Amino acid sequence: MIAYTIRRLLMLIPVLFGISVFIFLIMKMIPGDVVSTMLGTEATDESRSQLEKQFGLNLPIYQQYYNWISGVLVGDFGVSLRTGKPVLGDILNRFTLTLELTLLSAFLSWIIAIPLGIIAAIKRNTSTDFGVRIISLLGVSVPNFALATLLLLILSVFFSYYPPSTYVSLVEDPVKNLQMMILPSIVLGTAMAGAVMRMTRSTVLEVLRQDFIRTIRAKGASERVVIFNHALKNAMIPILTIIGMQIGVLLGGTVIIEQIFSLPGLGQLVLTAINQRDYPVVQGAVLFIAFVFVMINLIVDLLYSYLDPRITYK
Amino acid sequence: MDNVLEIKNLHIDVKKDDSTYNVVKDVNVSIGKQQIYGIVGESGSGKSLTALSIMGLLANPPLHVSKGSIQFEGDRELLDMSFKEMKKIRGKEISMIFQEPMTALDPLFTIQDQLMEALKFHTKLSKSEMKQACIDIIERVGIPRPKEVLKDYPHQLSGGMRQRVMIAIAMLCNPKLLLADEPTTALDVTIQAQILDLMKELREDFETSILMITHDLGVIAETCQRVAVMYAGEVVEESDVVSLFHSPKHPYTKGLLKSMVSGNRHDDLYSIPGKVPSVEQMPSGCRFATRCPHVMDICHTQTPPVQEVEADHTCQCWLYQEELVKNG
Ligand SMILES: Nc1ncnc2c1ncn2[C@@H]1O[C@H](COP(=O)(O)OP(=O)(O)OP(=O)(O)O)[C@@H](O)[C@H]1O
Ligand SMILES: [Mg+2]
Repeated sequence: MIAYTIRRLLMLIPVLFGISVFIFLIMKMIPGDVVSTMLGTEATDESRSQLEKQFGLNLPIYQQYYNWISGVLVGDFGVSLRTGKPVLGDILNRFTLTLELTLLSAFLSWIIAIPLGIIAAIKRNTSTDFGVRIISLLGVSVPNFALATLLLLILSVFFSYYPPSTYVSLVEDPVKNLQMMILPSIVLGTAMAGAVMRMTRSTVLEVLRQDFIRTIRAKGASERVVIFNHALKNAMIPILTIIGMQIGVLLGGTVIIEQIFSLPGLGQLVLTAINQRDYPVVQGAVLFIAFVFVMINLIVDLLYSYLDPRITYK
Repeated sequence: MDNVLEIKNLHIDVKKDDSTYNVVKDVNVSIGKQQIYGIVGESGSGKSLTALSIMGLLANPPLHVSKGSIQFEGDRELLDMSFKEMKKIRGKEISMIFQEPMTALDPLFTIQDQLMEALKFHTKLSKSEMKQACIDIIERVGIPRPKEVLKDYPHQLSGGMRQRVMIAIAMLCNPKLLLADEPTTALDVTIQAQILDLMKELREDFETSILMITHDLGVIAETCQRVAVMYAGEVVEESDVVSLFHSPKHPYTKGLLKSMVSGNRHDDLYSIPGKVPSVEQMPSGCRFATRCPHVMDICHTQTPPVQEVEADHTCQCWLYQEELVKNG
């Protein structure tokens, strides 16, 4: 198990290397560059070349890549071309918000989706089941921005409530922070809940049809034991797969939701950086997001083997 | 001798697309103390449904008991019991083991967990007492290295071992009746014989009655005292085992015996022509009429009555209606 984990971590090296080359080349290929966006089109050739030299953009491309990646390897992601601040600090700063948003959304989605999915499975083909399935369909199909706008509209028109608009971190002011985070979490959680609900319902149903459930009933188990001790545990692997994917995606930042609720998350950072052709920030952030994504994958895989003794990694 | 279980007039119906069809009809079975009672019949004859209805574990919907009574130990009507009351009986007074040992255990729990669970439902033993009880029963069903096996997960055991574990779970609370639904069908022949021997031993040690369900007359011959032959949801013949093998009465029983004698038990040389009618197309008279070599006109229109053709030997067939035989 430990050996497996180490091997998986070692395998990350070529993956992340590939991603770093890829993102580096992409950034070079998109039209426009930081110098023109900073100086405008009227700039003299002299001032252009001076700025290029300052950013190291006059070097051959492999040299530029080497300079960047050798810094990354020792934890130096460079500085933003726009603000001059270290990239990694910015990323981590934004990431705490994104992480909080993700965990809150995930939590909200689970406490709704898993119980409802189970209820739907137990009461399959009844009106309850039908209701749950409609909710989950709405959850997965209503676009985030629509739900977000609707929510804000309803709150402001009918309740004259406006969420705070300048971000404060959880440590500064927990109450105000939660006030800001709860609405976007509900929006994101709803979308996640739809998929989790559907998966919970179908896998619990499938497990309940299996032979061993009959054995457990024949032992004299109550339905509670059948559902919670056995059916749910057996249904957990597919559910976990979905949850892992959702969390991975959310941790990459959610541009639209961050924009609507004016949250300075990872998504916003990347978006602004792309617009300004702020290469070190985009490259650093994408590499970081990729790293988080593969780590989530690894954690999910390890959880599989924890849950299911038939899955062992050697 | 008092009977442990008496099934009277059991009818089971199934709902399919808003229509109701009958799948088990007028089954009568009495199982004596410490008796091994066999039910034999082809696939789809309603053997499993009969056993599941005793446990109250019919998949309802679509299945339900529409008529009849199942009395346990003389005066306890199982069909009238609430879920709570049945829960106390399942696994404690009546246990059940199933055909497919590979899928009958929860893959995510150790053997010990799955044994302990039954003890937790039905006893107030301390943890160490429970552990000891698990070791004892695992040893008793002939599993070597009990302490290690208890820590194993089902996928680490062979089919035969798993079926022994199933038997251990079933016998753990010393039940009065064990329902064995084709316990050896999925196992190879040598393991099959071992499991049957084990069940016979346990019956004596634990003073348990067994309902042995099988499609294999060989299993019946080896283990049972009495036997009911089921066809398409009905008991067509019922008698003690010796009488059944020596003087089978029903054409279906004769067919089964012929297929057993002529072939080795698994790939039969002779088999009864035709197949069991589907529930939607059940014949209105005798259900075996479509495949019977001695079929008469009356068989297609009227259900034959159950008749005692010899002492303690009943058969449901028009051939044994004396007036009819005389007249026709
Ligand atoms: N859940 C169900 N829904 C609908 N019909 C069912 C269901 N279970 C059983 N049946 C029907 O009831 C009939 C009897 O089934 P049962 O399982 O008792 O047969 P069996 O004698 O145990 O056969 P086998 O040897 O295959 O186990 C079958 O024809 C089957 O079509
Ligand atoms: Mg069966």
